[in-house]
Amino acid sequence: MNTYNPITALVVFFALSILAYLLFRPNKGWFWLIRNNSGSNDKIVIEDVLKLLYHNENADKHLNINDIIRTLKYNDRLILEGINKMSDHKLISIQGDNVKLTKSGIDYALRIVRAHRLWEKFLAEKTGFKEAEWHERAERKEHELSKVETDILASKLGNPQFDPHGDPIPTNTGKIAKIKGTPVSELSVGTIGRIVHIKDKPEIIYKQILAENIHIGSLIRIVEKTPARIEFHSEGEAFILAPIMAGNITVSVLEKDVVYEEDLARLSILKENETAQIIGISKEIRGDSRRRLLDLGFVRGAEVKIDLMNPLGDPKAFLIKGTSIALRQNQASKILIKKD
Amino acid sequence: MDTKKIDNIISLSNDLRWQIGDEFHDNLAEGIYADAAEIVKDSVHKKDEKGAIRIDAKIDKIITSKVWGFPLMFLILALVLWMTIVGANYPSAMLSGLLLDTVHPALKGFAATMGMPWWLDGFLINGVYLAVAWVIAVMLPPMAIFFPLFTLLEDFGYLPRVAFNLDHLFKLSGAHGKQALTMSMGFGCNAAGIVATRIIDSPRERLIAIITNNFSLCNGRWPTQILIATIFVGALVPATYSGILSLAAVIGVAVLGMVFMFLVSWGLSKTVLKGEVSTFNLELPPYRPPRFWKTIYTSLIDRTLIVLWRAIVFAAPAGAVIWLISNIYFGDSSVAAWLIDSLDGFGFLLGLNGVILVAYIVAIPANEIVIPTILMLTVLVTGISGGAGAGVMFELDSVTATGDILRAGGWTLLTAVNLMLFSLLHNPCSTTIYTIYKETKSVKWTVVASILPVIIGFVVTFLVAQIWRLSA
Amino acid sequence: MEVKPKSACEACPQFNADGLKKLGVNTTDFDFVVALAGNPNTGKSTVFNAMTGLRQHTGNWPGKTVTRAEGAFEYNGDKFKLLDLPGTYSLLSTSEDEEVARNFILFGKPSVTVIVVDASRLERNLNLVLQILEITSKAVLCLNLMDEAERNNLEIDTRTLARDLGIPVVPTSARYNRGIPELIQTISELANGKIVCKPHRIKNIPQNIEQALEKLSTEIEQVYPDIPNSRWIALRLLEGDRNIIETLKTGEFV
Ligand SMILES: Nc1nc2c(ncn2[C@@H]2O[C@H](COP(=O)(O)OP(=O)(O)OP(=O)(O)O)[C@@H](O)[C@H]2O)c(=O)[nH]1
Ligand SMILES: [Mg+2]
Repeated sequence: MNTYNPITALVVFFALSILAYLLFRPNKGWFWLIRNNSGSNDKIVIEDVLKLLYHNENADKHLNINDIIRTLKYNDRLILEGINKMSDHKLISIQGDNVKLTKSGIDYALRIVRAHRLWEKFLAEKTGFKEAEWHERAERKEHELSKVETDILASKLGNPQFDPHGDPIPTNTGKIAKIKGTPVSELSVGTIGRIVHIKDKPEIIYKQILAENIHIGSLIRIVEKTPARIEFHSEGEAFILAPIMAGNITVSVLEKDVVYEEDLARLSILKENETAQIIGISKEIRGDSRRRLLDLGFVRGAEVKIDLMNPLGDPKAFLIKGTSIALRQNQASKILIKKD
Repeated sequence: MDTKKIDNIISLSNDLRWQIGDEFHDNLAEGIYADAAEIVKDSVHKKDEKGAIRIDAKIDKIITSKVWGFPLMFLILALVLWMTIVGANYPSAMLSGLLLDTVHPALKGFAATMGMPWWLDGFLINGVYLAVAWVIAVMLPPMAIFFPLFTLLEDFGYLPRVAFNLDHLFKLSGAHGKQALTMSMGFGCNAAGIVATRIIDSPRERLIAIITNNFSLCNGRWPTQILIATIFVGALVPATYSGILSLAAVIGVAVLGMVFMFLVSWGLSKTVLKGEVSTFNLELPPYRPPRFWKTIYTSLIDRTLIVLWRAIVFAAPAGAVIWLISNIYFGDSSVAAWLIDSLDGFGFLLGLNGVILVAYIVAIPANEIVIPTILMLTVLVTGISGGAGAGVMFELDSVTATGDILRAGGWTLLTAVNLMLFSLLHNPCSTTIYTIYKETKSVKWTVVASILPVIIGFVVTFLVAQIWRLSA
Repeated sequence: MEVKPKSACEACPQFNADGLKKLGVNTTDFDFVVALAGNPNTGKSTVFNAMTGLRQHTGNWPGKTVTRAEGAFEYNGDKFKLLDLPGTYSLLSTSEDEEVARNFILFGKPSVTVIVVDASRLERNLNLVLQILEITSKAVLCLNLMDEAERNNLEIDTRTLARDLGIPVVPTSARYNRGIPELIQTISELANGKIVCKPHRIKNIPQNIEQALEKLSTEIEQVYPDIPNSRWIALRLLEGDRNIIETLKTGEFV
């Protein structure tokens, strides 16, 4: 080892690490970029065009080729090739300027929509990804799931009817349910309702609604309404929204005999030596985690108090139905209580 | 069968489910609990408040307190290790005296009288027998102390509290709090720790727990740490403190393992296993005074003997391989010498040497035999006398003699430190790899879990070696 | 021998010590399969060890057992295969960690199900008990950890409990082998049909769910007239359980 010297060795090592980082860093690594680009984009482009047409036709809008090129972020050549292929396969028909879906085009589009919404449902129920990430992940996954895989996914999730935004999931025969409800902006003071749908477009407004921590399935009660703002209470918190935001939230109005609990609090704010009663679990907790909490005894009416504090503050152990159960702060903050 | 009717039932159930809405499960759970409450009200009566629960609460207050929680955890870990290290010394010496100094020559003598050919005698007695004997002498005593102590803690109810205390760190690294439990099981045996990850209900967090379990120093690796720390680290200070310093070094390595576990968990959950932590809920059972003798008896019989048996099963063929590679010649050097020579340069870069790398390759089936292999190969390379012939494993009775051989093989403090690091950070043993495959049913994740630790080991030892040499 | 079936609450065990043989892992040629179900950390493995003479690992934390273990014992000439299952909080969830136990309880068709509960935490344990009673009528409640309940000053009226649940209740302290003979006796009587249970059915189910259940279970009974637990199957169908849909198609549960 004549040429060896620790400094050279370190320099070579760092050079190699930087190279490896550039190649393999998540998402932007060269290796991934090359791999993603070499794969055929045809299918993805076609499916995105189908979806775009489908959503617009649902809203009674018809698009021409230029609209499509402008809306989708692919290069023009790819889109044009895609459109040609689609009309070859009779997925679309071009009438004058307008591009229209054929029957088999609609079926195909529905399949993609179904895969997308099911995947969002899956992400919501079975994983811990952030709500704001669901859509983007489903945008990628919808192109990968085959029809059979989609059906298996659906049955694993118990053939759900709605996705976590409250949008209907088409069945495997292409049937699709209707959303029934009233936008929050049209409700009168005192109405009690359950949120059934939150529009995920436009994205800016959707992200704002998410940031407010408003969820599908939550009970709300309107307390004030002026032309400039709408105030409602839900799960122990007050929300004040501008009418455009409120217009994107749909609520199904409930009958009079529903008990709407005021002065709710979150389990996370309970202090040592205080006792409280569980009122329910926020709709933000879904799927398996919700069931597990229920099975552990966090059901309406149960008495709860703090049993142990962690040296680092989180998690805390709660005494419920005779047993000490540790929960992290972020979960405890989704359990609704009423202090004694 | 009437498929049409069944399809009808299924579609009816779908319709009904949609009518009932998503409150279904909540309502059902409430209903069941309401029934339960009625039944309990009928048949359970509490005579008066106060009772054993109070003691539990007091213990818990201390074990999870801000001031004592973490120090107590380290103290208990240190105590268990100290008892293992100190307590294992004497029976270990006795066993090696018996198996290596008495039985081995006797077997040799017996083989000679039988007129056994040299290669069969060498293969069976110097290879297989010595490997097995070494494993028994070195592994049995620490395991026979460590496992019962661990089981006592487990029966008492301490493990869930460890998980409770550490959960915050797990959360920060994107992992599940129950990983603390599987990590603790890993201190005994990584394969057992990996099976235990089934308690983690989210697939993502379970994979993280599986991949990082190898960073729990398992029983096959404790003896290596203890031996090397005693020889090289303990020698740095006067004899009175050497015990404490080597204990501190071993604990340091174990804690470093946990640090790596957190870091790698964090790294994984930020990249390939991206995602938020799903949920964490852990039931903290009441403390139960363990049944002392019964626990000691069963953990000796079950855990210790089973793990030992496994070690023997793997050590025997490995012993045979060691003997073979040092006795089969390739031109004028043995296969072993040739391997050592070609790995020496790379070993040097890592602050190790060719011998250590070859030993780790040979010892993939069982980590327990790393040290004897190293000793044997060192003797082979340096040509010093002390061993019993080519490819013969042995354990020198006194720690000093072992140290002398290693120093003659060119070992320095750096080699020792890096060997301890590499023993922590290298591929899992073959049983663990197989278990990972069985649990994940994925070749991809098995490969990741097997390769990732070695890469980290290479990087860490490399960096330590360069910095050490620069500052020396 | 002519034996009149006893009703569950008056089962009074007469243990025949000579008739018991612990058979360890030798599980060939058994007459009955007995499953040990229950919440985590209630002492299932301890009960298992006490009955089979094996040394299944136990530990004071929920989730110690993660794979199912088999053992056997012989009593009065009948050979029983005993299964130690991982703990479960509920049969209604779909979480992966509980899959082994859930599937066996639901589809393994054990001759007798022993539900091991923690006597000091009866209420939360009943969540699972009541679910299991929707599925099977051959069950016995093993009221374990009685020593702890006594130390906690709890008094449990086992007769009332047995009457309310409609199945035999055997108090035990498995760790000290207390109550195990009675448990074995009860298992044997249940298996041989000498005790007939009338298990509790969940009552506090909201109206709309109850009606849906009724509708579905009548439909199911039309296709499978002999099915004992159509209500449970209806419940699972409402939940959208894929396994149940499959078994419904094949009719495997009958
Ligand atoms: N005092 C007392 N302790 C018991 C009794 N039965 C079991 N234990 C203890 O309770 C703890 C849990 O026992 P296990 O048998 O491992 O429980 P399990 O139900 O198999 O638990 P999982 O496998 O985790 O579901 C152990 O520490 C046992 O020693 C009993 O009757 N009395
Ligand atoms: Mg168990």
